[in-house]
Amino acid sequence: MILPALRLSLLVSLQATLLVALAGTGAGWLLARRQFRGREVLDALFNLPLVLPPTVTGYYLLLLIGRRGPIGGPLLRLTGLSLTFTLAACVLAASVMAFPLMARSARVAFEELDRRHEIAAATLGHGPASAFFRVAVPLARRGLAAGVVLSFARALGEFGATLMVAGNIPGRTQTLPLAVYEAVFSGQDARAAVLALLLTAVSVAAMLAVGSLGRWKP
Amino acid sequence: METLKGFDVEIELELVSPDSTRFRLEARLRTSCGITVLFGPSGAGKSTLLLAMLGSLRPARGRIGIAGRTVFDAAAGMDLPVRERRVGIVFQDALLFPHLDALGNVAFGLRGKDRRDRAEGMLRRMEAGALARRRPSELSGGERQRVAFARALAARPAALLLDEPFSALDAPSRQGLGSLLIELQAEMEIPFLHVTHDLGEALRLGREIAIMDAGRIVQSGPVDSIFSAPSPAATRSLGSENVFTATIVRHFPQEGFSEVDLGGTRAETGLLDLPPGSRVPLGLRAEDVLLALEEIRTTSARNVIRGTVEQVDRRGPTVEARVLTPALFRVIVTAAAARELRLSAGQQVFLLIKAHAFHRLT
Repeated sequence: MILPALRLSLLVSLQATLLVALAGTGAGWLLARRQFRGREVLDALFNLPLVLPPTVTGYYLLLLIGRRGPIGGPLLRLTGLSLTFTLAACVLAASVMAFPLMARSARVAFEELDRRHEIAAATLGHGPASAFFRVAVPLARRGLAAGVVLSFARALGEFGATLMVAGNIPGRTQTLPLAVYEAVFSGQDARAAVLALLLTAVSVAAMLAVGSLGRWKP
Repeated sequence: METLKGFDVEIELELVSPDSTRFRLEARLRTSCGITVLFGPSGAGKSTLLLAMLGSLRPARGRIGIAGRTVFDAAAGMDLPVRERRVGIVFQDALLFPHLDALGNVAFGLRGKDRRDRAEGMLRRMEAGALARRRPSELSGGERQRVAFARALAARPAALLLDEPFSALDAPSRQGLGSLLIELQAEMEIPFLHVTHDLGEALRLGREIAIMDAGRIVQSGPVDSIFSAPSPAATRSLGSENVFTATIVRHFPQEGFSEVDLGGTRAETGLLDLPPGSRVPLGLRAEDVLLALEEIRTTSARNVIRGTVEQVDRRGPTVEARVLTPALFRVIVTAAAARELRLSAGQQVFLLIKAHAFHRLT
């Protein structure tokens, strides 16, 4: 039961990373470049999963997507589907936990850009979207890439929130960290060691990747 | 030929910085279609004015006209976004897109299939054709500025703003780019607004000058007329009441002085390290000039210049006299001295000026 957990973990982490890369980049841009009422409140809200105990974040998610929740309720009535204890719930939990890392990395990366680059792009006839994709994103790519790698590592290691919203169903919602937990508490020491090493190897690779981004000069 | 139009700006705006200091800009500027130099000390509001003209700062009141087209009019609720104003910009540090090569930078503002060809043409015009495939990090400061000019001009702007584009360059690059700039302006027939705090550069490039101080344009018009009669506020900016466009005649290194022509009047100054024939702005404080009624020969002052008093104005406890030699000198003496000399218009006087009272303005 090692391979299914690894496969599931990779699947969840990759999907979560993709979601977070898009949403976090957008959020980072919003915080770095737009002045609006409640910006600091929004920033604090985005960062909440970093400081809350993961089980508390998971609890809130459960309220949100549960049968009587503001998202789960209507979804169940309209489609008959329930999100809790599914792969989608794993992805959601991993995404919410990784999102602050991406949003922070993106915000810092965009704040470091010289605003005049965007002004120059506009004087050359480019609208905000074009200036964003053709100037801001390429110039911030290092910080954004670091955010993506960190988000992937965070999603891969997600435990508490996942347990709350997706349970621990082998082959369906049991990701690597959950599998480690179960192996230890059911006395399967060898299995626990293999799983732990596997997770460590992937995490070290992720950290090396972040480190090499610092030297990356495309 | 239709009349070509320059900048027509009349705006008010207030900036509040993070440490809540306020800066108020109240600028009025009307220029022809040539190169206008915007001169002033740092902190005068030159860059703020440029940002407002570009459209990235919004004035509270007023109107901005660029090359005959209104791009901002607070009263009419009109505020064109930056990309629709067709105003090009060249920044002090070139600020090329570091992820694109020189050609990619120039082609960035172009559309259509032949955009790379046109970009190459513009690079060649800037004498930078060989740099097309190089990244900004592989270019020298002067090369970067050439690419930045090409990038701004390739987009066919209606006007070009230059924010101290030469201040980070060495003298030869400045000279080369300066003459290229004058040629390009004549070819493209669009108004250039060139920000600098280097008076020598202002003199070489601009036919018109606007002097800015503490958020206001304190004086503007043809360069020569402003240098010969700076307003009190412009004087503060320039640092002297008398500003001459001097041409160096010859040097006397052993004797320790240079001979210059101030526009019909010869004078001796401290040694200047520029080749004969070059033009240099020289300043002279009005208090540093002595007046005499006779030609005094035995004096350490190197300059004894004959002139005619054109005008005498009482300014509180002091008197300002304007003396034509034929170059115009402004002289400030105490009211008592003016009374004893019986200063009046039409009177013949001699100006006594030490060589080192002339100072180079840069």
